[in-house]
Amino acid sequence: MHALDVDYMLGLVPILLGYLPLTLEMAVAGMACALILACLLAVVRVRRLRFLNALAMLFISFFRGTPLLVQLFLFYYGLPQLLAFLVAINGITATIMGLTLHFSAYMAESIRAAIVGVDRSQTEAALSIGMTQGQLMRRIVLPQATRIATPTLMNYFIDMIKATSLAFTLGVTELMGATQKEAASSFLYFEAFLVVAIIYWIIVEALSWLQRRLEVRLNRAYQR
Amino acid sequence: MTFPRLLSITLAALALTMGTAHAETLRVGMSGSYYPFTFVEQDQLKGFEVDVMNAIGESTGDDIEFVTASFSGLAGMLDSGRIDTIANQITITPERQAKYAFTEPYVYDGAQVVVREGNDSIKGVEDLKGKTVAVNLGSNYEDLLHELPYADQIDIKTYESNVEQDVALGRADAFVMDRISASQVIKDKPLPLQLAGKPFSRIENALPFRDDEAGRAMRDRVNAALESLRDSGKLSEISEKWFGSDVTQP
Repeated sequence: MHALDVDYMLGLVPILLGYLPLTLEMAVAGMACALILACLLAVVRVRRLRFLNALAMLFISFFRGTPLLVQLFLFYYGLPQLLAFLVAINGITATIMGLTLHFSAYMAESIRAAIVGVDRSQTEAALSIGMTQGQLMRRIVLPQATRIATPTLMNYFIDMIKATSLAFTLGVTELMGATQKEAASSFLYFEAFLVVAIIYWIIVEALSWLQRRLEVRLNRAYQR
Repeated sequence: MTFPRLLSITLAALALTMGTAHAETLRVGMSGSYYPFTFVEQDQLKGFEVDVMNAIGESTGDDIEFVTASFSGLAGMLDSGRIDTIANQITITPERQAKYAFTEPYVYDGAQVVVREGNDSIKGVEDLKGKTVAVNLGSNYEDLLHELPYADQIDIKTYESNVEQDVALGRADAFVMDRISASQVIKDKPLPLQLAGKPFSRIENALPFRDDEAGRAMRDRVNAALESLRDSGKLSEISEKWFGSDVTQP
């Protein structure tokens, strides 16, 4: 057993922080795309659009039913063997795509639940004063659904940040990949993985703080 | 990309092209976690493979672009055209030879059993019966173990990385790797490990390219560069730098 090499850990911090922007970039891009896709899927599901609904259910079933790592390998290593032009997709793009497809499947269900969770009386009231379906969604249902969905969506974002660590298997050196490599040359595994764990932890804690502020803001209308 | 950066890249590319017939970019895949062949220290990619590839690039005039990925992902990246070759001590095997166009070997090595320090019950490959043995996923050491007549009595565990650590911790009884890197790790790093007996299989390592026209052309160019590095003594020099001995001779 060796003593904790604190100097090594401190030296590692600035090196690993250099990879943080890439990790965040993949998570933010993935989250933005997943939100858009999830909203579309959720609306299709809520409205029960005939053909599209079946397609959305199949999509959600597949991307929720298979591990993210399997999906990433399937797209990055598998598909280019069938469709050669897909080689043009690099590891970072493939990761963002994988995160988008995987998490949108989960998020669609929680957005759908949030939309359905808006009290029916709200819809009836809106329709009674002559709002169109579009106005009803935009002005009445979605703002209220946002409040309901925010905590779970933030949860998925936190999960997504951590899921970016799988990008290393696609040749992307992000936060976790950089740590793996430093650890593999120093063999100081405990030190290296402890440093990266703390970095992830701090990011997620900062996000949780933001989430609390956001929830207070969204709840303002409900406070008497 | 900003304009000054684009300009400087263009100028650099021009400067390179003038020296040789056509400078290409050779994309070289490696794990970046195979001390001392390819490893990252203080954010710097280093090692024997890095030096050899850079020397090859100097000789052919090609730009060398290193791509790091986990070892088991490298073959997929080569097959799908994301990299042009793998510099990660790829051992020539009949199966791989059927699929890839290899250069001449540039490292001659042996498969080595490594155990936890003080474990004298395993003195070589014949003592692995009934033991748990760690190997890296996709490596030829896994195949070597499967070829042993008593393979069914060995519990073979495959890993993405960190086999050394699991043996040092005692979770696996031994790992099998190449002799060169194993002895270097034991010498330089703080893990409680020891070599168990002599190497049990000779291995020859080379650079694999895709077996198509472009791949074979690249292979031929790199082969010529390897030969000139061998003749000039540069290859031996790189080996001496990392291992204190010449591992590039048969």
